[in-house]
Amino acid sequence: MSKGVFLIAKNNGFIDYVKQAVFLARRIKRHLGVPVTIATDSKDYLIDTFGTQDFDKIIPLDYADNINPRYFFDGSLSKKSASFKNSNRANVYDLSPYDETLLMDTDYIVSNDLLKSCFESNSDLMLYKKSDDIAKVRDEDEFKNISNTSVEFYWATVVFFRKTATNKIFFDLIKHIEEEWNHYRRVYQITSNLFRNDFAFSIAIHIMNGFQTGDVVQQLPGKMMYTIDKDVLWELIDDDMMFLVEKKDYLGEYTAIKTSNQSIHVMNKISLNRIIDEEFARD
Amino acid sequence: MTKGIIVLAQNNKTDNYVEQACLLAMSVKLHNDTNISVVTNDIVPNEYVNLFDQIIPIPFTDSAKTSEWKVENRWKLYHASPYDETIVMDTDMLVLQNIDTWWKFLSNYEMFFTSNVLNYRGQYADTSYYRKTFIDNKLPNLFSGLHYFKKCEFAQNFYTWLDLVVNNWETFYEQHLDGASRPKHVSIDVCAAIVTKILDCESSVTNKIAKFPSFTHMKSYCQSWTDVQSSWQNQIGVYISKEGALKIGNYAQTGILHYTENDFVQNSPALERYRNLLDV
Repeated sequence: MSKGVFLIAKNNGFIDYVKQAVFLARRIKRHLGVPVTIATDSKDYLIDTFGTQDFDKIIPLDYADNINPRYFFDGSLSKKSASFKNSNRANVYDLSPYDETLLMDTDYIVSNDLLKSCFESNSDLMLYKKSDDIAKVRDEDEFKNISNTSVEFYWATVVFFRKTATNKIFFDLIKHIEEEWNHYRRVYQITSNLFRNDFAFSIAIHIMNGFQTGDVVQQLPGKMMYTIDKDVLWELIDDDMMFLVEKKDYLGEYTAIKTSNQSIHVMNKISLNRIIDEEFARD
Repeated sequence: MTKGIIVLAQNNKTDNYVEQACLLAMSVKLHNDTNISVVTNDIVPNEYVNLFDQIIPIPFTDSAKTSEWKVENRWKLYHASPYDETIVMDTDMLVLQNIDTWWKFLSNYEMFFTSNVLNYRGQYADTSYYRKTFIDNKLPNLFSGLHYFKKCEFAQNFYTWLDLVVNNWETFYEQHLDGASRPKHVSIDVCAAIVTKILDCESSVTNKIAKFPSFTHMKSYCQSWTDVQSSWQNQIGVYISKEGALKIGNYAQTGILHYTENDFVQNSPALERYRNLLDV
C-alpha cells in the first residue's frame, strides 16, 4: 500500500501557497517520513524558485482566476481582499498517487509525528471534528456546527483517506455539493455565499451518515489546534512557535503564547509567509 | 404477559390533547404491532376510535377539572393500565421506529424512567435551562414523559407515593426543594424525582449510560443553539415524506419525538400524512 501526503497550492497573487507547501513538505518529511505530492497551478514557479527535490510528484493544475473573494487578515488591524482559490479539493481522490493519502492544507504546521498513526489505523476516512483555539478565550461555536441550526462542523484542513469504493462516493458527493453550492448552502442554513471546504465536507459527512449523527468518519488523532487570522505567528524555531493572540474585547492588543511540538493550523497566512521567508533566509 | 402503551389525554380550553394522542397512536401503528390505550374523559372522534386498544375513563374521578396542566391525574395511570407491562408516554410525542428491542430492554426493570434525552441532532440534550430545580436539589434527572412499569409491588408502592406527593405537592416541595428554584406549580417530573429520592431507588428505576429508551426533547433551549427563539418551529423546518419519514432541519429523526409545542399538530403535515398512510 503506497502512502503519502497530498498538498494543493493555488497562488492568488497575494498569498504564496507554493512557498507554504515547500515549507510544509520539509516538515512532513522530518516528522512523518512519508513522500509528499503537490498539485499546483504554478508548477513553473515552483520548479524555478524552489526546485523539485521536496516533492515525490508534482501534478499541474490549470490556472483559474476564479472570483471567490474573502478578506485575509494579518492580525486584527490589517486586512486585504483577495481571491480564495479553494475549489476542486475533492479531486484529490482521483489525483492522489497514493493508496493511503493524508490531505493537508499548506497552512497546517506539522510539528510532531502524531499523524503517522493514521497509516496504521483501521479507519479508512478520518478528519478532525474536535478543535481548540489556542487563545482559549474566544467563542468557538462557529466550529461546532456549520451554522446555528445546521450540522456538525468537520475540518477539511487535514483529511486521511484510503482509496475505497465508499470514499470514492464521499469525494464525488463533495464535488456535487460544490457544483450545487447555492442550493446546499440554503438547505444547510449557511448565510454566506463563500464556498468553504469545511462546510462541503461537513455536509457530505452528514449525508453519508444517513442525515444523522453517525460514525462514517473517524476522528484524526489528537485535536485540531488553530489560531485565527486575527492572531499573528511571531516566531518559529524548529517545533516551537510563538503567537501574538488577540486579546478578547481589546482590538489590536495581543498576548504572547508559546507552543512546543504542537501541530497548528495557522490561519494568518500572511504572518506565516513572513516566518517562512525568515526560515528560508536562514537556510 | 400483556404489553401496551398508555397515554393520558385531557383537553383544556385551548389545546386538543386527545387529537395529539390520536396522532401518537397513528405513529405507533405505523411502525409497531403494539397496543395503545388512551385514558380520557373527553370524546375521541369516531374516525380515531379504532386506533386504540381501549379508551379508559379517568379512574377515581377527575382530579384536574380546574387545572390547566392536568398533572393531577398522572399518578392514576398505574391503576388505569390494562397491561402487565406498560410504557407511559406524553401525548405530544411521536413514535418514529419499531421499539420491540426497547420492550426487551425494559423487561429487565420493574420501573424505568428515561434520564438522558436527546436533541434533534441525536446528541445528549443539555436540559439544565429547564431543570434548575433538579440541579439545585440534586434530584434524579428523570423524565416521566417516557417511562415504564410492570404491574408489581414495587411499582404500586412507587405510584402510591406519587399519589401522595402530587396531592400534597406544596408540602413535599417545601420539605425537599430549595426555595430559590422551587417550582410554583405541580410538576410530575419533580414529584417522581422526589418519590425516587424518598424511596432511594434511583439506580433501580433508571440507567444513566443507556442511550435508549429515550426521546428527542424539542424544547428550544435543549438544542445547543447559540441563538434561541421561544418556539423551535420558528428556527427549523419539519419535513415528513409520503412514507412518514420525518426530518427536523437537516436531521432524519428516529426513536421518539417529543415535539412539546401544541401547535405542531396544526403546523406540520404529520396528521395528514399518517391518516393517508393508515387509511384513517
